Amino acid sequence: MNRERFIRDRRNDWREFETLVSRMKNSRQSKWGSRDVATLSRLYRSICYDLSLVQSREWGARLEQYLNDLVAQGHNCLYRSPPQSVRAVWDFFAVGFPRLLRRRYKPFLLALALFLVPLIASVWVGYTRPDLAELIAGRETIEQALKSYENELYVEGDSRYSSERTRMFGHYINNNTSIAFQAFAMGVLVGIGTCYVLISNGIIIGILKGAILAKGNPTADNFFSFIISHGSFELTAIVIAGAGGLVLAQGILMPGQRTRGDSLKFHGVEALQLALGAGGMLFVAAMLEGYFSPLPIASSIKYVVGSMLWLLVAVYLTMSGRERITHEG
Amino acid sequence: MNENHKRKVDTRVVVETPEGVDFQFVIAGPGTRAWAWLIDNLLKLGILAGVGILLSAVGVFADSNENFVAGIMSIIGFVMNWFYGSLFESWMNGQTPGKKSAGLRVVRTNGTPIDVTSAIGRNFLRTADMLPFCYTVGLISMLMTRRMQRLGDLVFDTMVIDERRESISRTGGLTANIEPLLRSECPRRFSVPERTLAVIERLFESDRIISDARREEIARPLSEALRKRLGYQDPAPDPRNPHTYFRTQGFRHTQFILRVLKTFADDPNGSKGNSKNPQASANRTAMKKERSERDSSYEENRQLAGLPSGEPGSES
Repeated sequence: MNRERFIRDRRNDWREFETLVSRMKNSRQSKWGSRDVATLSRLYRSICYDLSLVQSREWGARLEQYLNDLVAQGHNCLYRSPPQSVRAVWDFFAVGFPRLLRRRYKPFLLALALFLVPLIASVWVGYTRPDLAELIAGRETIEQALKSYENELYVEGDSRYSSERTRMFGHYINNNTSIAFQAFAMGVLVGIGTCYVLISNGIIIGILKGAILAKGNPTADNFFSFIISHGSFELTAIVIAGAGGLVLAQGILMPGQRTRGDSLKFHGVEALQLALGAGGMLFVAAMLEGYFSPLPIASSIKYVVGSMLWLLVAVYLTMSGRERITHEG
Repeated sequence: MNENHKRKVDTRVVVETPEGVDFQFVIAGPGTRAWAWLIDNLLKLGILAGVGILLSAVGVFADSNENFVAGIMSIIGFVMNWFYGSLFESWMNGQTPGKKSAGLRVVRTNGTPIDVTSAIGRNFLRTADMLPFCYTVGLISMLMTRRMQRLGDLVFDTMVIDERRESISRTGGLTANIEPLLRSECPRRFSVPERTLAVIERLFESDRIISDARREEIARPLSEALRKRLGYQDPAPDPRNPHTYFRTQGFRHTQFILRVLKTFADDPNGSKGNSKNPQASANRTAMKKERSERDSSYEENRQLAGLPSGEPGSES
C-alpha cells in the first residue's frame, strides 16, 4: 500500500470521525446515541492503527501530526472520569467509611492517643495550676472562655438566638473542618504537622476544660451541657482526620514492599477518604453545635441527648457496614 | 546552534494510550502554574466579594441581619478555600478557570482524565505545599520530579500539562536563527517533498549522537540533490566581509538543509515574522498568536491529508 492509496482509502473515515467528535465532545455522555458511540469507538481504534502505521512507515510529519490530533480529540472525548452518583456518596458514608476506619484502626488509635493524652494532662494542669494554664493558653483566651459560659447562652425567647445560629454554624464549618483537613494534609510532611495539630488542639481544649472545671458551677454546667452533644461528632472527626494524616505519613515512612512513591499513592487515597469522612462528620457536628447545643432547654436533656449521640457515633463507627454472619447448624 | 538544541531540558512526557499509541504531553512549569493560580485567586476574591454584596443587598430588603450574611460568607469562604480547585477540575475535565486561561490541564500521569477523588486530594494537599511560604515545599518537589509534580500531584498521581504547547512546532528550536530561503535564490522549483523534510528532521534529532562534521558529511549528498532541484547557488563571498563566508563554508551543507527545513517545514506561508526573537513569545499576545498558529497548522495538516478545508462537518 502506498501513501496516496492509503490516504484515499482512509480519508472518508477520518472525515466522519472529525464530524462525529466535533458533535459529541461538547455534549454530555448521557445524551450520546448508542449508534454514535459504537461508530466513534470503532473509528477511534482504526485511526489509532492508522497513526501507528504512519509512524512506522514515516509517511510525513504532517500526516502524522494530523492523525495525532485526531487521536488526541478522540482520546479526550472517550476517556472521561466516570460520573459520581449520589448513591456512591451514600454508600461511602454508610459502608465504606466505617469499614475503612476499622481496617485502619492502628493510625486511629495513635491519633487518639496523640489527642487524648495531652488533653487529659492539660485538664489536670488547667484544674490545679491556673498560673501555668495562663502561661500556656494566654490569660485573655481563658478569661474570655470563662466569661462566655458564665451565664446560660440564651434565655428563652432571646432574639439573638435565631439570628446568631447561622453565623455560628458557618463559623464552625469553616473553622473546625479546616483544622481537620489541615491535620490530614500536613501528614504528607512525614506526619509532623498532623501531630502538631492534634497535640496543640488537645492542649488548648484541655486547658479550657480544666479552667472551667476549676471555676465550678454554673459555668461548668453551661459549658459541658453545651459541648457534650456536638463533641461526639466533632472530637471523633478531628481524631479521624488526624488518623488520615498519619496514614499519609505511614505511606512515606513505612513503604513496606512498595517503592516510596507507589506506597504514597496507595495510602494517599485511603487517607483522603478518612479525611472526607471526617469532613462529613464535622458537618453534622456543626449543625448540632449551631442549632441544637445552644438551645435554651434544661441541661439534663442535653446530657441525655449528648450521651445518646456519643453512643450513636460509637455504634456507627464500629457496627456500620458489617456483614451479617449467619450461624448454621 | 546545534549545541543549544541538544542542551534543551526536555519537558515532554510520553504516555501510551490503551490503544497502544504513544502520546506526547508537555509538562507545565512553575511559572505558568503560578499565573493560573493568580487568576484563580483573583476569581475567588471576586466571587466572595460579589456574593457578599449581593447578600447584603438582599438582606437589607428581607429584613435579615448581618449575622446571617456572615454565616453564609464563612461557608462560601470554606468551600472556596478547600473545594474551588476540585470542583472545577472535576467538572471542567481538569481545568479551573485560571488553568483554562493559561492553557493548562490536570491529568493523571497515564494521560487519562482526573477523577473526583484525585481532584479533591491534590487540592487538599495544597496546604502542605504552601509551607512555609509561597509554595516553597511544592516548588522543591516540582524541581525534584521529572513530571514537575508538587506533593499533591505526587500522592494522587496527577500532573499538570501545558496544552498550548501540546503540539510543538515540528522543527522546535532547530531553525531559530536560520534565514529562510528566498524565492529569488531558487530559480528552479520551490518545493521539497514531505519525505525529504522528514529525513532532514531525523538527521537533527537530539537522540542521534553524531558530530557536526559527520553530520555535514551525511548532509552533503542530500544538500547537493536539493541544490540541483531548487537551482540554488551559494552566493559568492562578500568582498567587504569575506570572513563570514569562509567561516560558514565548513558547514555549508548543514546550513543549507537547515534553511530548506526552515523554509518548507516551519512556516509554509513565507518568512513573515518568524525570525523574530523567540523570547518575545513570553507575552500574552504572542501566546494568542501561537494558538492561532497551531490551529492553522492543523488546517494545513488536514489539507495535506487530502481533506477539504473548513469547519469539520460543514459539508456533510
